[in-house]
Amino acid sequence: MDVALKIWRYDPDSGDRELRDYELEAPEWACLLDVLDLIKDQQDGTLAYRKSCRMMICGSCGMRMDGRAVLACKERMLPIVERGHVPVISAMGNMPIVKDLVVDMDPFWNKIRRMKPWLEPGYDEVLERERIVSQQEMNVIQKEALCIMCGCCVSECNSMESDPEFFGPAALAKGFRFVGDTRDQASVERLEDYNDEHGIWDCTRCYFCNERCPKGVDPRDAIAKLGAESVKEGIDRDMGAKHAKWFVKSAETTGWLRETELVPKTQGIVSAVKQTKFAIGLARRGKVPPPVPPHVAADVGEARALHQLVREQGREGALGIVQGERALARIEHTDAGGARRDAPEVTPREEPPKAEG
Amino acid sequence: MEAKHDVLIVGAGCAGMRAAIEAFDAGADVALLSKIHPVRSHSGAAEGGINAALGNASEDDPEKHAFDTVKGSDYLGDQDAIQVLCDEAPGDVYQLEHWGAVFSRTEDGRIAQRPFGAAGEPRTAYAADITGHVLVHVLYEQVMKRDIPTYEEYFAWQLVINDDRCQGVIAWDLLNGGLKTIGAKTVILATGGAGRLYVGTTNAYACTGDGMTMALRAGVPLKDMEMMQFHPTTLAPTGILITEGTRGEGAYLLNSEGERFLKRYAPNAMELASRDVISRAEQTEIDEGRGVDGNVLLDMRHLGAEKIIERLHGTRELAMTYAGVDPIQEPIPVRPGAHYHMGGVDTDLDGRTELEGLYAAGECACVSVHGANRLGGNALMETITYGKKAGRHAADWALMHTTIEVPEAVEADAERDLKVLLDRTDGERPWSIRNELAETMHENFGVFRREDQMREQGEIVSGLRERYERVVVDDKGDVFNNDLTQALELGFLLELAQCMVVCGLARKESRGAHARPYDYPDRDDENYLKHTLVRWVAEAPVLDWKPVTMTKWKPMERTY
Repeated sequence: MDVALKIWRYDPDSGDRELRDYELEAPEWACLLDVLDLIKDQQDGTLAYRKSCRMMICGSCGMRMDGRAVLACKERMLPIVERGHVPVISAMGNMPIVKDLVVDMDPFWNKIRRMKPWLEPGYDEVLERERIVSQQEMNVIQKEALCIMCGCCVSECNSMESDPEFFGPAALAKGFRFVGDTRDQASVERLEDYNDEHGIWDCTRCYFCNERCPKGVDPRDAIAKLGAESVKEGIDRDMGAKHAKWFVKSAETTGWLRETELVPKTQGIVSAVKQTKFAIGLARRGKVPPPVPPHVAADVGEARALHQLVREQGREGALGIVQGERALARIEHTDAGGARRDAPEVTPREEPPKAEG
Repeated sequence: MEAKHDVLIVGAGCAGMRAAIEAFDAGADVALLSKIHPVRSHSGAAEGGINAALGNASEDDPEKHAFDTVKGSDYLGDQDAIQVLCDEAPGDVYQLEHWGAVFSRTEDGRIAQRPFGAAGEPRTAYAADITGHVLVHVLYEQVMKRDIPTYEEYFAWQLVINDDRCQGVIAWDLLNGGLKTIGAKTVILATGGAGRLYVGTTNAYACTGDGMTMALRAGVPLKDMEMMQFHPTTLAPTGILITEGTRGEGAYLLNSEGERFLKRYAPNAMELASRDVISRAEQTEIDEGRGVDGNVLLDMRHLGAEKIIERLHGTRELAMTYAGVDPIQEPIPVRPGAHYHMGGVDTDLDGRTELEGLYAAGECACVSVHGANRLGGNALMETITYGKKAGRHAADWALMHTTIEVPEAVEADAERDLKVLLDRTDGERPWSIRNELAETMHENFGVFRREDQMREQGEIVSGLRERYERVVVDDKGDVFNNDLTQALELGFLLELAQCMVVCGLARKESRGAHARPYDYPDRDDENYLKHTLVRWVAEAPVLDWKPVTMTKWKPMERTY
């Protein structure tokens, strides 16, 4: 097939950026990475990009195609060629460009390190056998353990674009890999730490990271799990946590969102008083219901029963989210279909895993 | 000299990182040096699992593991090395679990184990079908915890030899350019395999045998270099790996007639025979016209969607992306592809080479635990156990010796050699040589080997080496010049190819991965129950032999 594409080149010596056109003949099975290889071999040896495994596991070849982060080894060129499209290839975002499609990953790794990304088992000596951990407990961190650290999520992160110090989706997903691990004995300390400024509540929930992750890690969902765990552990000093808590409380008690109380619950009374005028304006134009009497949904009993069920099953915090994810995956993939009521996908953490001596 | 360390480890995959952790814990000043970031290492592409006689899925013990490994090696494995591996494996796997490796679990919460080829018991501990990925990441976590300095994107090019000792490494700094010398009391090579010698390979672009050739050029012998394993299930055309775990979970191999053809080759073990046996069976089916477009079919449909999604998720993703086939609905076309080098740098049980101060571990080394054919799941185990042992010994040795000396002449020579290459402006670029090498190796030194083809390959490689003397590097810059490093990698590969051909011609028998059905179809224990050894003398390989260490297992006929 005849492939055409444009590549944003960057020459670190001169500082010049230039969008260059390439045309070449490539086999029909070729991925973007194969096409780049052909260009580097046969047209221009100075083209720089990273690569290694070419099978979506090493995470080297993150770059942008038409402005969205991809793994070059995962993008088949045939459908693109068939629709006559000429893609534009460029380096990932939110990281300094070193040369052409190569970015400096140091800022990325510094944020990973900031999460103290190693298991804290609570002891030094290795025991004679493995710890007993159920598959259901391992399932809680299955998605986060898939992360290949390619940087595609960070490249697309809107929060990081406005706050370069934001921990970012990859680091936070790595954080949940430990918080969600029943073997880790530092989960609460981690949550305290991840609740700091630039931490979990600074995510704007644009979901670009979920959309662009080539491995299905869904970093935004990992951030949600960290948020849920924080609230469960009573770590709610951040306005984001307070905001989320009120959503839950409001939904449980009335079946609706009580918007007039959202601001004082999130920002505190003093801050809310300052916005009284704005609130009155909203109320006058019919944008919010009057606070009294409370607006209660007709079938509020259902909402309350649902919350009760979650509590009874011990699925507050991250487990509820994980349970939902796995049930959805099952509906999507299997003929039998549907979540199974009687066989939970995940089980609540009851006590630290038993160790054998 | 840029810096000095007690222990410098070249390559940061499973073996390298495990060695680094061990050396650090032994109190040494240790550093890693790798041409790619540690988590990009090809250990991460290992899918199916890691073998240790944990006994979680059946009654098992290290003795059974050792016997299976000895038999799998076609009796070319050194039995003392195999015994050490199998004895230490369970403890080493528990260690990984305590560091946090996300293993799959049994009903009772232990590490799950699945059946694998040529193993008498379900012995392969696994993390779904991303076991290598999980191990690379857990080891890197431990490297970060210890804050072990890592020279990332440093391309190791030469060993520093002084006073008959290896005292460091000269590397090209990819990000900033320039040769950098890192001095060390001990150097551990953990650079992995050389699958890029073949056009159809499961190996990453990074697998170019760098450590093996660096050792070879330093006068250290390589062992069993003819032994390149072909994995039975790789995707056409590029050779992307489909795990043996598919067959461990029960997948079938079918020919174009829908027949489970292994019943004619390995009637007892069927799809779980050893890799060399299955690869030859597949190649025979394809050669005799019972293939499907040069492939056979791997059928997992009867496993059901749930099992495929739960345990073989990554495999499904690979098949869908690179073969356009959803294994829940259709069989995957597969064929043999170059996968693992049983041969490598000759070491003792502590990873020591002939050269003082130089160690090797993992795929680039040959202890040898795999002999003529490696069992699936034993490679990851070897990286961990022998990485640990090399790290420990290198640290202990380094802590008892003090000086590091790198004569200026060594650095100046390297600078001069590199300048010659970079200054050349007129000539052939490396890629056509690289492609010809990979295609001809596949054709002439593949699953089946013929005397005349091996001879022809020797001449082809000599011709390619002559052309390589005049190659031109396009990129003359300092920043991320992987045009230069790829040219240097080709130089590594060419010398290894030459060694392989010499060893292959010398072994006039069929054993494990070295199959000569046309002239020497049988194993010949009387004459060839010994390792090939090859040294680099005056720009050419010189062949030698080394006895196999036998302890308690006598060679028997090998059937599955």
